[in-house]
Amino acid sequence: MRVVSAALVALILLLPLGLSDYRAYQLALYFLYAAAATGIGLCWGRAGFLPLGQAMFFGLAAYLAGLTLIWLGDSIWVFVLLPLAAATAGLLAYGIGLLVFRRQGESGPYFSMITLALSLLAFQLATSWNDVTGGFNGLKGIPGLPGLDDFSAAYYVSATALLIVLSLGAWLYAAPVGVLWRALAQNERRVALFGFNTNALKAVAFGVSGLFAGIGGAIYAPQQGLVTPQVAGFGLSADLVIWAAVGGRFGLLGPTLGVLLVGALTTELRDRIGFWEVLMAGFFILVVLAFPRGLIGVIAPLVRWLEGWQRTRPAVPAPPRRGATEPAQLTLSDVSAEIGEVKILDHLSLRIAGPGIFCIIGPNGAGKTSTFNLLTGELAPRGGCVLLDDAEITGLPPHRIIARGVGRKFQIPTIFTDLTVAENLCIALWSCRAAGIELLMPRLKRWTSPMLDELVRRYPFLAAGRRRAAELSHGQRQVLELAMALLTEPRLLLLDEPCAGLSPEETASVIDLIRWAGRKLQIAIVVIEHDMTLVKELAETIYVLQNGALLAQGDIDTIRANADVRAVYVGGEK
Amino acid sequence: MDPLIVTQALNVVYGVTTLALLVLGLAVIFGLLGVLNIAHGEFIMTGAYCAYVTQANGWPFLAALPLALIICGALGFVVERGLIRPLYARPFDTLVATWGLSLLLRKLTEAIFGMGFYNVDVPLPGTVALLGTDYPAYRLVLIAISGAVLIGLFVWFRISRTGTRIKAMVGNRELAEAVGLPVRRLATYTFVIGTCLAGLAGVLIAPLVPVQPFMGLDYVLKTFFVLVVGGLGTVMGVLSGAAVIGGLDSVVSAAIDATYGYLTVLVVAILFLWLKPRGLFARS
Amino acid sequence: MAQQILATTRRDFLGGAMGGIALGLAPGLIGSAQAADDFKIGLFYAQSGPASLFGPTQLASAQLAVDEVNKAGGIMGRQIKLFPTDAGGPPADTTKSAVRLLLEDKVDLLIGSHDSATREALVATIKSKVPYIYTPVYEGGECSYNTYVIADTPEQQIRPSVTWMMQERKARSFYLIGDDYVWPRKSNEHAKKYIADNGGKIVNEEYVPFGAPNKFEEAVTRIKSAKPDAVLITLVGADNVNFNRTFAGFGLDKEIARLSLLLEENTLKGIGADGSNNLFSCMSYYANAPGEANKKFKDAYFAKFGDKAPQLSIIGTDCYAGVNCAKALVEKAQGTNARALMTAANGLTFNSAAGPWTMYGQHVDKTMYIAGCKGTEFEIIKTIEHVKHGEACKAA
Repeated sequence: MRVVSAALVALILLLPLGLSDYRAYQLALYFLYAAAATGIGLCWGRAGFLPLGQAMFFGLAAYLAGLTLIWLGDSIWVFVLLPLAAATAGLLAYGIGLLVFRRQGESGPYFSMITLALSLLAFQLATSWNDVTGGFNGLKGIPGLPGLDDFSAAYYVSATALLIVLSLGAWLYAAPVGVLWRALAQNERRVALFGFNTNALKAVAFGVSGLFAGIGGAIYAPQQGLVTPQVAGFGLSADLVIWAAVGGRFGLLGPTLGVLLVGALTTELRDRIGFWEVLMAGFFILVVLAFPRGLIGVIAPLVRWLEGWQRTRPAVPAPPRRGATEPAQLTLSDVSAEIGEVKILDHLSLRIAGPGIFCIIGPNGAGKTSTFNLLTGELAPRGGCVLLDDAEITGLPPHRIIARGVGRKFQIPTIFTDLTVAENLCIALWSCRAAGIELLMPRLKRWTSPMLDELVRRYPFLAAGRRRAAELSHGQRQVLELAMALLTEPRLLLLDEPCAGLSPEETASVIDLIRWAGRKLQIAIVVIEHDMTLVKELAETIYVLQNGALLAQGDIDTIRANADVRAVYVGGEK
Repeated sequence: MDPLIVTQALNVVYGVTTLALLVLGLAVIFGLLGVLNIAHGEFIMTGAYCAYVTQANGWPFLAALPLALIICGALGFVVERGLIRPLYARPFDTLVATWGLSLLLRKLTEAIFGMGFYNVDVPLPGTVALLGTDYPAYRLVLIAISGAVLIGLFVWFRISRTGTRIKAMVGNRELAEAVGLPVRRLATYTFVIGTCLAGLAGVLIAPLVPVQPFMGLDYVLKTFFVLVVGGLGTVMGVLSGAAVIGGLDSVVSAAIDATYGYLTVLVVAILFLWLKPRGLFARS
Repeated sequence: MAQQILATTRRDFLGGAMGGIALGLAPGLIGSAQAADDFKIGLFYAQSGPASLFGPTQLASAQLAVDEVNKAGGIMGRQIKLFPTDAGGPPADTTKSAVRLLLEDKVDLLIGSHDSATREALVATIKSKVPYIYTPVYEGGECSYNTYVIADTPEQQIRPSVTWMMQERKARSFYLIGDDYVWPRKSNEHAKKYIADNGGKIVNEEYVPFGAPNKFEEAVTRIKSAKPDAVLITLVGADNVNFNRTFAGFGLDKEIARLSLLLEENTLKGIGADGSNNLFSCMSYYANAPGEANKKFKDAYFAKFGDKAPQLSIIGTDCYAGVNCAKALVEKAQGTNARALMTAANGLTFNSAAGPWTMYGQHVDKTMYIAGCKGTEFEIIKTIEHVKHGEACKAA
């Protein structure tokens, strides 16, 4: 792969030799747009939200850089302050992302509309704030970069900026954070339930995209010598999105391809073909309908064979999980919860003291899964409190609760089907082991742990790392999700019908795995289960819920002897 | 009362009701189908050109209404079948596709009518004395029509069979399909209703604005803002959104100037999107 | 181990590499070869964007001038080849095209019909390397080297029209409304001076955001309540149409006169007969201006383009004058040497659709017309000859 990257760099560096000054100049400008469009690819193709006002960050950096250059002229300090202009755009984007995502937590059209409105606002401010921005006619007379003012120098400056952006992008896409972005684009809730602050992750993605746009904008000012409100406005924002979509938002190079191809062809042909815009409009529609992955999706198969060249590198032992490791003591006291008008939990009190395997049973609608949702912070109680050990966890967001040692497996397997098996396992391994800056280190993809070795020994399909999780059978998905839950090595493991839909052989092996894990990890495992045979095999203590309250608790014999339970649970036993 | 204040108050009412009228088509398409139709403004433009064609042929103004319904309806049908249907599950892709569509419609109009401005004569020229001031008669009529269309749509949606079926489809598409509702056809109906409403608004607004290929751009963003402020899927949402966006724009424009009016609309839209993204009256 | 394979997958990076090669080569294939002895003129006009309403007449008028010049032997024996180029987008797009014209097409001269933001960007890009003729109505102040302006200036438009409004229509108080950018603001500065000189007063000065979807009910109501004698309008395009229709709709047209500083045939068509009562304009060209020159121009225009001829307008005829100016200028300077051109420009006479114009100080003195609107036609009310441009460019 290094060969290809090197070839790309060489191509970009040598290109001006074969091009006229004008083509070099034109490419240089499009490189800057490509830097901004790459950021859109990152947000939209990776993290799953679409920013519609990216020109705002491009424009902000361009104005800041322009003002700096006018102020400092050809002082060497501009080389310090221009990166700062780009960084300011990135920080602003990060700040906006944090504020909006924290408040909303969703990635739908509302976020897009906010960025769109912000971009319109930026355009209007740039137009109205005459004294600083020069108004509609723009900021004029911006000097070029000291010593780098001719066409070929400008080309290399832009090319370098784009290469920096693409390298940063390649690094991030390869890093754990890149995997997490793709995971949260697919199922944000699940990522949060692995203990990651998804809102912060999305804000980082938006911040990086703002930085990319800022890098483009900061170079744009000296290169063009003029910054007008349009560079902050809706027109450029929309162009960037269209370019990214046409080129292909999922790959790192797709947006660049889109910008260079569509943008450059437009400049070439707009003045020669009268109905050029009609052609373009038809082309966009065609791409969306026929090639949703963009043009890069069309050529991707041509290079797929190169994947065979992967080098294997030695595995690295994962560090131990952060935080306490002793088995969890869980106390629910007097907890009530409602969904809409329906009472889900009704003054529920129970205590689970690990280690051990505990089963929750009860008829449909008894509040079993709701109890799990409550424990992972997804259902807010109306009254009462939940204590993990001696600390209250009521009202904490899911990722903070997970960080205290809770793990969960859903009834319907919720793995990340767009990711590979290896990536799924990685996310579980990173959970509560890696945070902050560590998520930028691709090395983390080589982590392994004794638990992983054991799981692979038991289930060899987990070693087929490059297989997409979507290709797995239902049984394999159940096992993969259980494996992921176990890999986090929680102190309290919540399993919602882990054997649902499994064959008898698969069921036996899963039961064996759960029991092995209980012994090995010495943790509290809580299982929701309907099948009394399994309950009997697994559980030391059984809790029976009915109508959101605890009906009975005790070992299997106690429960069977309980008259109340028999009354509501006739026929529950197979 | 001060005639200045009365007139400005009427301006606010006019601003709100016409905005609601302009939004209706999008309220149906975005609010019910969830389709981010960037080409909404171009359907309004198509309606406005229908009004121009009517006038150019010497037909009475009202003849523009059926013409717009036929043309926008047919256009909506073709667009839904060819472009929107494959994209229901991919909202962002709809955005790109309808963006291309808006460009196409604009260019098509340009090819037929050229770039120039056209004007449509005001069907009811002159002013009417009202509450101590003179107010343009056609604008008063437009206020009344907007109100009537809003109420009509509200009632129709409530009591008609198609309205009920559309509600069922919007509420739970899978379930509606399971109980045998022709969901795909209903979606086409809904889309066509949306484009027809946009065309209707275009006809009615045509006598007041320059008719030209770019006119649609003026409406698309504002109408989206109205829907997110008001909330999707209810007539009350449309009305309250139009009241907030159109009302604030008018009030601030009247009290200070148009620049502040425009900035206020943007800031309020951002605040709503951020703090109350489901709007004032969202469909539950 | 699964993770190890993952670590070195760079499929994304690869996925685009091939594309990079393909597009790197593409532009090189689309070069264009031109005959060496053509005189190449780049024409910036509004092919896209809101101003593209003027595009057809800009192009047609320039084309007509090119045909006439070529038929008469070209410029110094060289046939003109026109390179029409879009200037309707953001300035950066236009400067990009300018670089192409300069470096690839190697044009000899540039003519521009676009807004001031683009003009300033172009002047900075061209760096006086080739002569540049700027044609449309503007706010004044362009004195860059090797740049020649044939536009109406504020002194030519505003002084005569405001003075006329005050002296002959007895307007004492004015309400100023315009789009918020440099041309309206600069024009209003001039207007305020002339109004004060004549002892009039300004009731209010108001700007609307340029490029935003504006509506004018509130502003018109304010005007109604302020009761000025006249409104001076520096709104452009759709805003101008919208304002005037709203103004008339509120019935203010009978009592309050309006003077619009950028009102030509296209805009008037949009305003329509029911919006144009008591509305005035002042420019150096109207399609039905009197004079032999205009008659000759119109005959040629309609002979060439027939029934489908684009609507005539000053925005177009200024492009016609621009091409004629180019011919006169280059032939007088015997080439495109900047110094020789600058010298030749002083006292240069060339043809416009309104008759011969003479340039000095990089601008043109001309005959101005004050016109009133009759339905969707202009009716010349007053002709003022030899109006000085009033710009103070120091001879370079």
